[in-house]
Amino acid sequence: MLTLCTLALLCNAIPAQAAPLSSSDVEAAYLYNFGKFIEWPASPDPANAPFSICVVGKDDFAATLDSLVHNDTINGRAIVARQLASIEDANGCQILFLGTSEQPRLARDLDAIKERSILTVSTIPGFVDRGGMIQFLIRDSRVRFSVNLASATRAHLALSSELLKVAVSVNSKPSREGQ
Amino acid sequence: MTRRPTRTRSIAARLSVMNLLVSGIALLLAYVSFVAYDLVNTRQAAVDSLTAEAQIIGANSVTAILYDDQAVAQSTLSALSGTSDVTGAAIYTTSGHAFAQYLREGAAPLQPPPNSAPVAATSWRSGLDVLIASPIVFQGKHLGIVYIQAHFTNLRLQARRFALITAAILLLCLLIGLLVGNVFRRLLSQPIISLARTSRLISRYKDYSLRFEPSASYSELESLTDAFNEMLAEIQQRDAALEQGRTELEHRVEDRTAQLVAANRELESFSYTVAHDLRGPLEIITNICYLLQNPDANDPPEVNEGMLIRLTSSVSNMSSIIDDLLNLSRATSAGLHRKQLDLSNLACTLLEDLTAAHPERDVKTSVQLGCHANADKGLIQIVLQNLLRNAWKFTSRTQSAQIEFGCIRQEAEQVFFVRDNGAGFDQHMASRLFKPFERLHAESDFSGTGIGLATVQRVIDRHGGRIWAHGEVAKGATFYFTLGNPTS
Repeated sequence: MLTLCTLALLCNAIPAQAAPLSSSDVEAAYLYNFGKFIEWPASPDPANAPFSICVVGKDDFAATLDSLVHNDTINGRAIVARQLASIEDANGCQILFLGTSEQPRLARDLDAIKERSILTVSTIPGFVDRGGMIQFLIRDSRVRFSVNLASATRAHLALSSELLKVAVSVNSKPSREGQ
Repeated sequence: MTRRPTRTRSIAARLSVMNLLVSGIALLLAYVSFVAYDLVNTRQAAVDSLTAEAQIIGANSVTAILYDDQAVAQSTLSALSGTSDVTGAAIYTTSGHAFAQYLREGAAPLQPPPNSAPVAATSWRSGLDVLIASPIVFQGKHLGIVYIQAHFTNLRLQARRFALITAAILLLCLLIGLLVGNVFRRLLSQPIISLARTSRLISRYKDYSLRFEPSASYSELESLTDAFNEMLAEIQQRDAALEQGRTELEHRVEDRTAQLVAANRELESFSYTVAHDLRGPLEIITNICYLLQNPDANDPPEVNEGMLIRLTSSVSNMSSIIDDLLNLSRATSAGLHRKQLDLSNLACTLLEDLTAAHPERDVKTSVQLGCHANADKGLIQIVLQNLLRNAWKFTSRTQSAQIEFGCIRQEAEQVFFVRDNGAGFDQHMASRLFKPFERLHAESDFSGTGIGLATVQRVIDRHGGRIWAHGEVAKGATFYFTLGNPTS
């Protein structure tokens, strides 16, 4: 119920633009919704393992995210929000949000998880060009996102066409990996 | 089919009207239900199709709502421009704000019902305007609602076209139905018309020899014509019987009239003759009386004596005429009392009386014994008396006179006869013998009143018998008679 309320609040607030939610709140909601439009490859994890949305690095929407995912499920799996100390803890994460603080070690971070099926999301500028999968950005004072489909495909993630429809740009070329 | 009373109509016309009415009503009902069914069906199909579109739009707008992308929602809605009936569409979020909107050019702005629940609904604004609502649900959560507003201009056109085509088809059906009905009507009414025509002919010309044509097509009509024909035959038969009876009656009237006329004439001539015959002796008596009252002194006494004799003779002549008349009257009117009689015995007695009365005559008489009859004694006595007296009289100038009475059996009938060998008569005159006052001989030759045989004839007639005579001049005569058989 809380989720519905928050979402309703979100939807309500955006067109009105009177008292906009902070972009981090919107980003938290978007992040949470990604799980519904992306298919992960069959995981060796047990069926009842939670669906983990992990946050690494410093950012200010961890609390919002935590309240959003509370008591919610994706494909029968409970959603949990996890704050990671470092990228090394990304084991078992389905979605990984990299905070702006991770900008200096971005290449290393992405490299650490490149063989895993983890959806990488960040607000770091040029994130999709550098091997990230989804990058939040602001367009017309609204939070939007662009997608690097090649990176996602490489990680065996299938993004639904519905999701791609609302993306600002979809880059299917291989990124400048290793820079 | 010439003249018809104004208030009645022919069966044929009525059948036509009935046919038209029944087919018309049936086809009209069919028409109305076809068109109504088609209208409802087409409208429902259109609504179903739009509802499906609304559901598709809803499904396609999920990410647009979740990721707040109005442009995407807008473009999804714009796809409705391909659907000509749609005048507008909108996506509302659960908060009740228009998230995206599409309006066809010139169309009225879309107005969703206030506070509408997020459920699928179809609401008609008019017969052709509809607002369809389809909720957007994603993974069990309501995200918003899609409204599609449509104006079915095509529906109206389509319905009109269908109505026209159906009307044309049904009119054609009506026409064919009428034609077929007409054929059947003619088949049905033709025999009735012919029946009516024949009846009219019969009633107008009273010609009951006409017959109705038998109708082979319908058993009811066949039995009807049969019944009519039987009635006609019956009428014809009765007419014939009536005609026959009438003719018979006419003939009888004619016969009776002729008989009456004859009887009347006979009576007239009879009275005349009676008067004439009675006047004969009366004149003699009158003259003698005058002579007796004015006697001539010169006359010898024998003259007076002779006059007295003639007077007596005339009186007895009158008396015998009156006796004969009385006998005739009696023979005509007296009651008939039949009983078994011995006619031979009667004849013997009468002949003995005659012989005794005329001892100067030498007549050979013979009577056959055993002639019996069932008859009235008094009347038969008159018959025998007359016949035997005649025979006695007409043999008065015959040498060796013979008189014979007898009877013979002739074809199971007893025939009696009286035969003499006297003056006889001309057989050609035989028919006049039995008429009253007819004499075949001169009064100077044989005296007689001429009433005797007429009286005999009456008596025989009253007994139901016959009398006839055979004669030859100067050779004699035979009178035969029968007395009928009361038992047979």
